[in-house]
Amino acid sequence: MIEMLSYEFMQRAFIAGILIATLASISGTFIVLKRYSLMSETLAHSALVGVAVGLVAGFNPLWMAVVVAVFAAWIIEYLRTSFSLYSDAILSILLSGSLAIAIIIVSLGGAFNNSLFSYLFGSILSVSYEDVVTIMIFGSISLLLLLAFSRELYFIAYDEEVAKTSGIRVKLLNFLLVTVVAIIIALSIRVVGSLLIGALMVIPTVSALQYRVGFLHTVLISLFIALFSVIVGMTLSFYFSLPSGATIVLCVISIFITSLVINKK
Amino acid sequence: MSIKFKVPIFDVKSLNYSVRGLNILISISLEIFNGEYVAIIGPNGGGKTTLIRLLLGLEEPTEGSIKLYGKKIKNFKEWHKIGYVPQRASLVDENFPATVEDIVKMGRVSKRTFFRRMSNEDKSAVQDAMIKMDVLNLKDKMVGTLSGGQRQRVMIARALASNPEILILDEPNTGVDMVSQKNFYALLAKLNKEEKITIVFITHDIGVIADDIGRLFTINQKATICNNPKETLSCEDMSALYGIEAHLIHNHKHEH
Repeated sequence: MIEMLSYEFMQRAFIAGILIATLASISGTFIVLKRYSLMSETLAHSALVGVAVGLVAGFNPLWMAVVVAVFAAWIIEYLRTSFSLYSDAILSILLSGSLAIAIIIVSLGGAFNNSLFSYLFGSILSVSYEDVVTIMIFGSISLLLLLAFSRELYFIAYDEEVAKTSGIRVKLLNFLLVTVVAIIIALSIRVVGSLLIGALMVIPTVSALQYRVGFLHTVLISLFIALFSVIVGMTLSFYFSLPSGATIVLCVISIFITSLVINKK
Repeated sequence: MSIKFKVPIFDVKSLNYSVRGLNILISISLEIFNGEYVAIIGPNGGGKTTLIRLLLGLEEPTEGSIKLYGKKIKNFKEWHKIGYVPQRASLVDENFPATVEDIVKMGRVSKRTFFRRMSNEDKSAVQDAMIKMDVLNLKDKMVGTLSGGQRQRVMIARALASNPEILILDEPNTGVDMVSQKNFYALLAKLNKEEKITIVFITHDIGVIADDIGRLFTINQKATICNNPKETLSCEDMSALYGIEAHLIHNHKHEH
């Protein structure tokens, strides 16, 4: 462990990983409870459009990913509230649509290379100092917003209409939540990869729900599961030269299966 | 009556509501005053729930006006004065991670400022609401594990936690056994008499609560307001307005 942490790239990866595990699991609780799980997949694919633009045009891919993911989140929320479309169908359309756009951009720009590969599946080797700073800045803002409105978001997840009749600004807070989630997803693709981040957002909460405890304990268990999976996953990834994102996801799935078995009625 | 000079909590004037050309509610005018106990009855699909949703700003009227404490709904800010328990309240998602206390605390959310923890005032309001609804001993239980009657009391405790002046209940008896229902009506009457909480209650079960209610609204596209419910139950024009539902009420009367 000490040897692993003597490498600077591993220090950066661990800081980024721990921040992302915290952000993904806390925001994931609200996403799962609102039945928005598929949204994390869609936003992760939208973030790829940003990455593609960044790689081809020479901007910072992470920043571009944040911008495009937030934009996509707003479109989803707008479509969901303004038209009588099925939410999962909207998510499905945007998911494939944005992936198609990302592939075309990358293909036209001739950027089909290892760099793109690392954004798809995550790579701890590729986390730069600049990435860590970006994750810290956006991550802190996102976390503060989530904590400030956690009771309201919980109430909305429980019953949107009753929350509205209690004077809570449901529409505004729903937009805030999807914005924060979009930012967190875009930040996560460096470490976990855009094809795998959905798992880190959804599975810790679904595992925590198996323990049938109150809200605060569910959030804490979910946070613990995410942190544990990221730390164990990255360590295994370092020692056995495995891809970080995939290793983390397999860790979190193992915990999910264990939670299911332990709590079987 | 002197009560007429007060500003009503709800003031509905010539309200029409239609969806894609289909009239759901036609020229409804009514007022609900502080301290009243009002029951709203009517056949399924007659527009009872829609009326409540309009009163709470969850739907926009097609025509007409609705005022809450003398203000238009979009200008109304004091939502903590209103406690709403919707129809599906007792049908909670069993996996939702919430203890009884988590749910009742939601009643204080609109009063909270951001980043602030629950104040002592919040905590005692939550405690009081749980005591009033007799769910304090269940406070650490998961809501998904409770019986229908217990869940119903928890949902009302949540509404009471904001210390509302008016409680609106939309058929909260779904999935609740008879004994719990009887206790529940007694509790509503107590809240109305002792706590001076205005109660608006949607129900089919008018036979049971007729003794306590002050006024009765029948809603079947149009509204009829009856100031003496006992008289109303036997009045013939209600039968004409009501059709099948009137027979149901007669059956209830024989049963009890």
